[in-house]
Amino acid sequence: MDQAAAEALAGAFKLVGYGLAAIGPGIGIGIVAGSAIEAMARQPEAAGLARTTMFLGIAFTEALALIGFVLFFIA
Amino acid sequence: MELILATAACDPSVDIICAPANVNELFEFREAIFTIAGFPVTRTVILILSIALIVSAFLFFGLRKKSIVPTKFQAAVEAIILFVRDGVAKEIIGEHGAKYAPWLLSIFLFILVGNMFEVTPFINFPVTSRMALPVLLAVITWVVFVFAGIKRQGFGYFLGIIWPSTVPIFLRPLVGLIEFFSILILRPLTLAIRLFANLVAGHLMLVLLIVSGWVFISSVGDIGARAGIGVAWFVMGLGIFVFELVVIVLQAYIFTLLSAVYVQTSLYPEH
Repeated sequence: MDQAAAEALAGAFKLVGYGLAAIGPGIGIGIVAGSAIEAMARQPEAAGLARTTMFLGIAFTEALALIGFVLFFIA
Repeated sequence: MELILATAACDPSVDIICAPANVNELFEFREAIFTIAGFPVTRTVILILSIALIVSAFLFFGLRKKSIVPTKFQAAVEAIILFVRDGVAKEIIGEHGAKYAPWLLSIFLFILVGNMFEVTPFINFPVTSRMALPVLLAVITWVVFVFAGIKRQGFGYFLGIIWPSTVPIFLRPLVGLIEFFSILILRPLTLAIRLFANLVAGHLMLVLLIVSGWVFISSVGDIGARAGIGVAWFVMGLGIFVFELVVIVLQAYIFTLLSAVYVQTSLYPEH
């Protein structure tokens, strides 16, 4: 395999890797946001607390996808 | 202008999407504009200094005359300060959290203005997409929450991390190892990467869409009706612009929120 084809293949694998890295956090953020909406609907007076906690949960979950994004560039 | 030059290698009659040939443009250091006493001053340095100026001026002029009936500008400044002090510091850390409010406010305003440069016309460069700046901010947060823990619990703070007393004894080495890595290494790392990656991703999307749109529309003479694709890229780019405004504010908020949470967990480890 020549050099250019190898580089193209490596780039394609990076893209697939990032796609795989985004699956888990995607599901996770969905669960976090869904539960937060449910909590806000059940108890509107606690909406502020639910919103803050939701942002925290999203921030922790999102980190995995972002690490995948950074690895896409440095790998 | 530099970004537009990056697409010079793109041939719109062949390529559908014009990506900058070298994405590393975003990560490489540019040559210094001028040098002061051996310190090279790049565009990034000038922007960082201007953030400090903007934030100082914002707070100074907002709070110069503390009138009982505030002007609109003073009310806006006070709303931001109250948001950080009551909404973040006191709510997350607790009643003693007001002590940390000035630091949290500095972080919040610094990141907010730094991120805002992403959508400021003619600047269009989020300073926080240089990894050095998020790392520095994360290290500051690390120092603050480690020292808060040491000040409150003495060196029992580190003992509490590597030998957690609430866990069954045969699990303590394992949990201690995980806690050690997650608290002292992964926390600042993810804090920095989160801010950096969000801003780089947003910047890349804006660059790709708007520059592609520009390249296609400007080459309407060569490729005829196919230049219409450029309008779609441009409209999508403007949509991402609005989305980025949300991301900008949210990332500044999340960085501040997580810093407060980390301080809280080192002050009250039982929670």
